Amino acid sequence: MYNRRSSYAAVASGSTANTQSHPAPTRSGAFSHLLNSANATPHNLSHNRMSRSIDADGHHSSIPASWSRGGAIPSYSSAGGYWQGLGGSMQDIPPFFVPSYLRGSKHAEKLQEQHKAKLAAQRDYKSTHSSNAGSLSTSSSSVNLHKTAPSHRGLTHEVVERAPVFVDEPAPWPTRWNEGDKFAQLDIEDNGRQAKFSGTQKTHDEAAAVRADFPMPRQCGIYYYEATVISKGKDGRMIGVGFSGPKVALSRIPGWEPDSYAYHGDDGQVFSNTTSGKQYGPKFSTLDVIGCGINFRTNTAFFTKNGHMLGTAFRDLKPNMPYYPTVGMKKPGETLRANFGQEPFAFDIDKMVQDEKAAIQAEIARTRSTHKITANETEFIHLLIGQYLAHDGYVETARAFEEETREEARALANGDDSGLPQGEMVEDLDALNRQKIRTAILEGDIDKALKHTNAYYPSVLRDNENIYFKLRCRKFIEMIRQCNEMTAQFHPVPTPPSKRSTVSTTNKRNSTATDEYDFEMELDEQLGVHNPPPSWDNKDEDEELDDEDDMEENQMKLQQMTQDTIAYGMELRAEFANDPRREVKRALEDTFALIAYENVRESALAPLLETAGRTPVAEELNSAILVSLGKSSSAALERLVQQTEALIAELAEDGGPGAFVNVRRDFLQ
Amino acid sequence: MSSSTVSVSAATPTQHPFQRKIEDVKPSKTDINFVIMDYLVSEGYPRAAEKFAKEANIQLPLEEESISSRVEIRQALHAGDIDTAITKINDLNPQILDTDPALHFALLRLQLIELIRTCTSSASADITPALSFASSQLAPRAATNPDFLRDLELTMTLLIFLPATAPLQKELADLLDPSLRRNVASKVNEAILTSMGARGEARMRSLVRLRHWAELKARVAGKDIPPVLPLGLQDADERSVDSNGNNGEVADVMVH
Repeated sequence: MYNRRSSYAAVASGSTANTQSHPAPTRSGAFSHLLNSANATPHNLSHNRMSRSIDADGHHSSIPASWSRGGAIPSYSSAGGYWQGLGGSMQDIPPFFVPSYLRGSKHAEKLQEQHKAKLAAQRDYKSTHSSNAGSLSTSSSSVNLHKTAPSHRGLTHEVVERAPVFVDEPAPWPTRWNEGDKFAQLDIEDNGRQAKFSGTQKTHDEAAAVRADFPMPRQCGIYYYEATVISKGKDGRMIGVGFSGPKVALSRIPGWEPDSYAYHGDDGQVFSNTTSGKQYGPKFSTLDVIGCGINFRTNTAFFTKNGHMLGTAFRDLKPNMPYYPTVGMKKPGETLRANFGQEPFAFDIDKMVQDEKAAIQAEIARTRSTHKITANETEFIHLLIGQYLAHDGYVETARAFEEETREEARALANGDDSGLPQGEMVEDLDALNRQKIRTAILEGDIDKALKHTNAYYPSVLRDNENIYFKLRCRKFIEMIRQCNEMTAQFHPVPTPPSKRSTVSTTNKRNSTATDEYDFEMELDEQLGVHNPPPSWDNKDEDEELDDEDDMEENQMKLQQMTQDTIAYGMELRAEFANDPRREVKRALEDTFALIAYENVRESALAPLLETAGRTPVAEELNSAILVSLGKSSSAALERLVQQTEALIAELAEDGGPGAFVNVRRDFLQ
Repeated sequence: MSSSTVSVSAATPTQHPFQRKIEDVKPSKTDINFVIMDYLVSEGYPRAAEKFAKEANIQLPLEEESISSRVEIRQALHAGDIDTAITKINDLNPQILDTDPALHFALLRLQLIELIRTCTSSASADITPALSFASSQLAPRAATNPDFLRDLELTMTLLIFLPATAPLQKELADLLDPSLRRNVASKVNEAILTSMGARGEARMRSLVRLRHWAELKARVAGKDIPPVLPLGLQDADERSVDSNGNNGEVADVMVH
């Protein structure tokens, strides 16, 4: 927002110096937005370029792609978050962008996820699987192998190459004018961003319109785009900016047909299903930036001109009609350039969306919930928390919480606890067992977890083969982890850490050394269900670490560990080699790839080694045990979150208030 | 809402298409644990928070130095020891009450209620301390704000009805209810948190409200959702119902 503002102002003020070369100096500020000279291109340069293009080409019908794109790119990178780590792999899938006002919205998250999945699928398809390492790597080198021209991360953003290949839920937003949904005499240029009337006008009624590739998604709550009038042509400014349904004829200026809505430049009127307009705003012409937005919550539409809100133009839009951004023109040379959010907007649409969000958040905060059993919110929350803690086997926490809330209740009742619920915590043996299993996994002691699970809940691993598989894989990962940490300690860096020559190794040593101390296993628990490694003794390691004399012994141990790890890996492979499931194969591949690295921590597979990876396995096993006990797999609090997400999604589907709520981002983090 | 009287059992879930959508949501344990931790810390349950950090393998928020003071203040307020609470709040940060007259007034009024409670504990007790506290501490503030004045007047009528010989009217009974102390305590807690730059309200509260709001909105919009959305608090509910000796209506749905 700051970028846009400052650059907008800077360019606007700077441009006044060049009045004579400029047909409409007061509007150059608006035009600068299109140039997007934000903070990369020096202003003079971009301005000169603009003037040159106008001089060279009478009615400057087309902006040379080289500079329009060149100007746009730096601003993407400076705006941050437009391209989230998706550099370099944009050959077949159009680049993904999030309009500024939709950043952080649920819908944007969904689309981004989908885009990532698409990229991953493409990578999967293209990757040669030579070492399997590429499958988890997002580095541009592996991805770009198939490209002809070398490219650099962050510089390959060809703004809009072609329409997305898959149209699937969630609804994508418009990205370009649609070559297949335009009037014949309209030319689409500059990667679909620019529409130009190239024909000659034959009849008075004839016009040329084009729709965008996708309708404005209602799930956005508010959708907004802008169009800049690059040229009003030789003799007119019969230009309409608006939106229309998919079936509206493209041979007429938008606004004249049913389901077609537009703001016209020649008279400043707005039209919907009529050839006689309604007075609305100022006329507009070359270099004006016209914004068009729909608020799907209220089913109203508005326009902006050069960053100024012009007010509500249409009400009672149809709740089920897909509305496509649409522009139309009727004079030769007329040219419009669209911004679907690839660039910062002239109008502060971010604030408008922010205000809408804030109003809804305030409304939510005013809501007071009650519960049938508990008269007030606090008691309800305490019930939820207590049940969650017990359900998920956080035994100690549940006990402490119980005590603390009882103390609270006692104080409230003036020390008289006769009327208090006798919430004597029933010591739940299952909860204790589940706690033990969870703790074992969280400590990386998979064998212990397997042992306990088989002892207490023999059917669980049998009935949940996928969890069994995950645990076995996790054990392999833990073995690699340990080997890795030992290796790191046996090859200490000769230079002191302050010397920068071997920075990465030094860092690695420091970090892993501390990990190692946290990492304690009980040997007596190592009655591994599978192949207990004889020298899997970490207990002594701490004492031996600094002892140079034990170096040799440690080397031996490391060797033994490595052998054990490989043996275990082979056993794992033998056990699951014939498993037809794709995800099993994939997991095996990724897991085995770990062995290829002497130091995994510096490889692309490092995330696999994170201790955070233990938590999901632990939770999955816990849920499976609960199910085997005939209990619900999710606690009431989880169900509450599930219901909330589902309800909000329902409320967002048609652009209702739910569109402005991102449960996870706004409420859970 | 009509749903409020319907009782459902979690054992026989309604197979409504919406149920599928609910089950398709996979909440992250990390998020949920975070919300729990946030609640324990911000609402002041230090021992549970400490245990939880250990058991769930998550970080105990470090910046929470105020947690023990906040717990002490809450305990004082819950016990009706308003004087101590005010002193402790001012020890922590005198700005809090200076900049929030409504909160300060709520505390003083709570103190007045406690005084009245003591003064009227027997028919022969002296009500002078309550009267002088009201005129010296509350009356000057009440003069500045009609809401304060109304609250003060209502509180003073307690003097007439106490000790109660007949059930008090609801407005007055509410003044003596422990939940008033709890509400004031939670406002104080939020004010302290806000004064430290933290988010005042625990996320858990916002979440519970969001859930409620979303259901209300969805019903108003005529969305196709089941008449009740049970949470599965059944076990916990039944236990608390039994021990309270309440009626057996066990509908663990949020009602409106």
